[in-house]
Amino acid sequence: MSVFAAGPGPIDEIQTREVFANFGFFELALFYLLTAVAIGLFAYGAFRRIRKYARGRRAGRLTMPFRRTVVRTAEIGANATIGHRYPMVGVAHFLIFWGFIVLFIGTVILTIDHDIVRIAFGEEASFFKGTFYIVYSVILDTWGVAFLAGLAYMGLRRGLSRPRNLDYKRAEEPPEGYSRAQFVRGDWLFLGLLAFIAVTGYLEEGARIVASDFPDFEIWSPVGWLVGRGFEAIGVDAAGPGETWRHVLWWVHSLAALGFVAYIPFSKAMHMLTDFGNLLFFDEGSSRRLSPPVEAPDHAGYQSLEDFTWKELLDLDACTKCGRCHVVCPANAAGAPLSPRDLILDLRQWADQSTSTVSILDREHRVEPTGPLTVNGDGTKLAGDVIKQSTLWSCTTCMACVEACPVGIEHVPTIIQLRRSLVDEGSMEQSLVDALSNIASQGNSFGKSSRMRARWTKSLDFTIPDARKEPVKYLWFVGDFASFDERLQEQSRTLARLLHRSGVSFGILYEGEWNAGNDVRRVGEEGLFELLVEHNREALEAARFEEIFTTDPHSLNTLKNEYPDFGASYPVKHYTELLRDLIKSGEIKVRPLGRKVTYHDPCYLARYNNITRAPRLILEAMACHVKEMPRNKQGTFCCGAGGGRIWMDDSGLVERPSENRIREAMELGVDYFVVSCPKDLTMYSDAAKTTGNEDKLTVIDVVGLVAEAMDAPEPAMASEAGDVG
Amino acid sequence: MADMIVLLRQVPDLVEELELNDDSTDVEREFMKFVLSEWDDYALEEALLVKEASQGSVTVVALDDPDVDQVLYTALAKGADKAVKLTGSEEGWIDSHQRARTIASWMRNQTYDLVLTGVQSVEDIDGQVGMLLAQELQHPHVSVVVSVETKNGSARVTQEFGGGRFSELDVQLPAVLGIQQSRQAPRYAPISRVRQAQQAGGLEEVPTEVSGGSGLTVRRLYAPESTDHAEMLEGSADEVADKIIELLRSRGLIK
Repeated sequence: MSVFAAGPGPIDEIQTREVFANFGFFELALFYLLTAVAIGLFAYGAFRRIRKYARGRRAGRLTMPFRRTVVRTAEIGANATIGHRYPMVGVAHFLIFWGFIVLFIGTVILTIDHDIVRIAFGEEASFFKGTFYIVYSVILDTWGVAFLAGLAYMGLRRGLSRPRNLDYKRAEEPPEGYSRAQFVRGDWLFLGLLAFIAVTGYLEEGARIVASDFPDFEIWSPVGWLVGRGFEAIGVDAAGPGETWRHVLWWVHSLAALGFVAYIPFSKAMHMLTDFGNLLFFDEGSSRRLSPPVEAPDHAGYQSLEDFTWKELLDLDACTKCGRCHVVCPANAAGAPLSPRDLILDLRQWADQSTSTVSILDREHRVEPTGPLTVNGDGTKLAGDVIKQSTLWSCTTCMACVEACPVGIEHVPTIIQLRRSLVDEGSMEQSLVDALSNIASQGNSFGKSSRMRARWTKSLDFTIPDARKEPVKYLWFVGDFASFDERLQEQSRTLARLLHRSGVSFGILYEGEWNAGNDVRRVGEEGLFELLVEHNREALEAARFEEIFTTDPHSLNTLKNEYPDFGASYPVKHYTELLRDLIKSGEIKVRPLGRKVTYHDPCYLARYNNITRAPRLILEAMACHVKEMPRNKQGTFCCGAGGGRIWMDDSGLVERPSENRIREAMELGVDYFVVSCPKDLTMYSDAAKTTGNEDKLTVIDVVGLVAEAMDAPEPAMASEAGDVG
Repeated sequence: MADMIVLLRQVPDLVEELELNDDSTDVEREFMKFVLSEWDDYALEEALLVKEASQGSVTVVALDDPDVDQVLYTALAKGADKAVKLTGSEEGWIDSHQRARTIASWMRNQTYDLVLTGVQSVEDIDGQVGMLLAQELQHPHVSVVVSVETKNGSARVTQEFGGGRFSELDVQLPAVLGIQQSRQAPRYAPISRVRQAQQAGGLEEVPTEVSGGSGLTVRRLYAPESTDHAEMLEGSADEVADKIIELLRSRGLIK
């Protein structure tokens, strides 16, 4: 007996199934009517959403067509971003994703055969039979199992193992109370609906196989076959109620599926569409190179829906509440009132409320109309009422949220646009006002005279060339902290001595250098940032050099990625990259130190600019054994000082991010905590003290180790020294 | 509802090292950086707060001090309605008398309810400008003011005394107030707003001609000469007290 032999004959004898078996005219009409209603609701919901995005500003995201379409589509198809750091979730989502697509395509094929081919070319033109039907059946039946397996994993994970990222407790909790119970029910409805559709599909299939009395070829729908045998066992068979059950189950399955179609644009299910778009138009560089503020005569920061770009509005609908940003956020970990997830969800609810968007089980409830429930008008503010000032000021702009987000949401630029509103109206804490005022008048946040900028060089026994007066190979952009902070000046002198000793041609700009403005821009003070760029651009134009190197990763970021927009385009590297090159070329000779170290990646070096190898190569060159912290490289954890936080009060935090980090390092049993950012040296030296680990863990800059390695004794003795150290 | 005039002045930025001119009669002004006097910044903030609370207007006025345009535009960016620069005064240090007279000569043609200025400046630590101006214009004057409230043709002001004491006074308008502190820290003017104000222009320049100052001339400016260093008494409160008594006894101040 060959199951592949599809002989000619009436329709009930060949290998296929009838779509509307035993349907009267009324029933058929009802089905098509309901289908039309479902598709109509879907189209309406989708239209409402698209119309909302169309209200947004231009986003400039139609560049790189190949990368965006072909490469990104492949990444999306592979669910690559979802599996990043969460491999099991990636696999489960892959099964659901492709299971859904395969089953959807299955329905589309059926529709094409039944409602187009057969109507246009007659019954005999149907291709939904024979070999095609068998292959179709086996593929759909298998992917249905994969689909259910994926859903089962997700359901168990959500229901039983309850990972921290799926806990919807807010970071900033309104005192009058709130409820996010709808979120939870919405999640279960989504998972449940999908599972219900799949299960009823199998039941209907089983009942059909029972009702048609197990024709041989239906063994190619193995799950349906087994379900049919199950039915048979409980007395539902072809002779008995088999056909009635099939008929009823057909409707149950179809109604659920049609209901789901209508439900998509109003619920969590919309992420199937919004996230495809959001990932296609994602720009991984939007945080390192910020967009200018809105060009409006009366305001500088975001105030209304129209200020957002369409991509930023799409971001809001893209969020699936997976909470990966929530758990990596240093502000949230420190007990600050910021969670990137809450920020996006609050903005979404506010945007939906402003546009009267209907949503199913996606609303936070509050006793008072505060936060995301704030009603527009009456002087209510987006930055201040909808999103609290304290929330916006808590961000360190470390970009961990953007890096962790599997669906391409760009939180940091949105936060900065909202901060620009606060700066525009002068709503910020006094220490920040002081820092900005100092920078505006003297070019540094320390309130010191700009003429004192190079005073740290006085105690060197050589003079660092002024790059504005004599040509040099490298222009050292020293930065505020390395120039003015007394603890860090010694580091700067160490680096200067080390370069001088190695015969490297380098110079500085003396009082011509001002704060580079990276953090000023991230605070939201765009006008001051522009002023600083103009000032530094003039100084750089007056100097003669081949390349810039910076001490500060923050300075590096803006000089490298943002200054070119303002007409100052130079090759920029970090001092760790310079040291790596000098060690490689033999210009700097280091001896083995053999220390047990861990290395902390600064956010602006690793996450923003992908510089992770250079500092590790230097450490390896000195035979230091680098033991990695769990959060390393692009997944590094912020020290808490970025984005202008260093100028703000951090006394309200439960645990400073830097202390959290030191505790992470203490688990490794290393002796040295190596940093490559001046702010890190102060942040972590303090944290080592406050956590009581000052005697066990030495916080040291890469430069400090290189200087030691240059003076270290011969290798044979060095290993002994290493053991002691 | 009060129309206010706020006097602003530029003073040397003490962040910089001060240098004296060749004959030691003034600080070297040519390369010096000037900033708005701290107390004038408070006066402006207090005026803006009064305006926010009860309408009215704020006009800022300054002599043609170095870099004063920037300060006037910053005041406009913060919310002042009008900025006036009185030109024609000599370069260099202008004493309090001359400053007050110059401003008074312009003010005689203005209508206003309140004049606010910093109670003092680093160049005028005796706080004379406000008083002299009130004298010139025959207005009541209150110094060391930390809070201003206007109502029905008078102002209620809080004056601060030493030792944490305050008095609350009602002052007939128009009046001149020397501001010691504003109710809140001076607001921040975003640079883009300052630049907008600059681009919009609108700085009113009024030539003024005033002669005669206090009649005093500076003979010599000099840095305070350091004397013996201080000795720190350490220990518990009782120990320190004993040491003080011993010291006083040893110098014959008590028996």
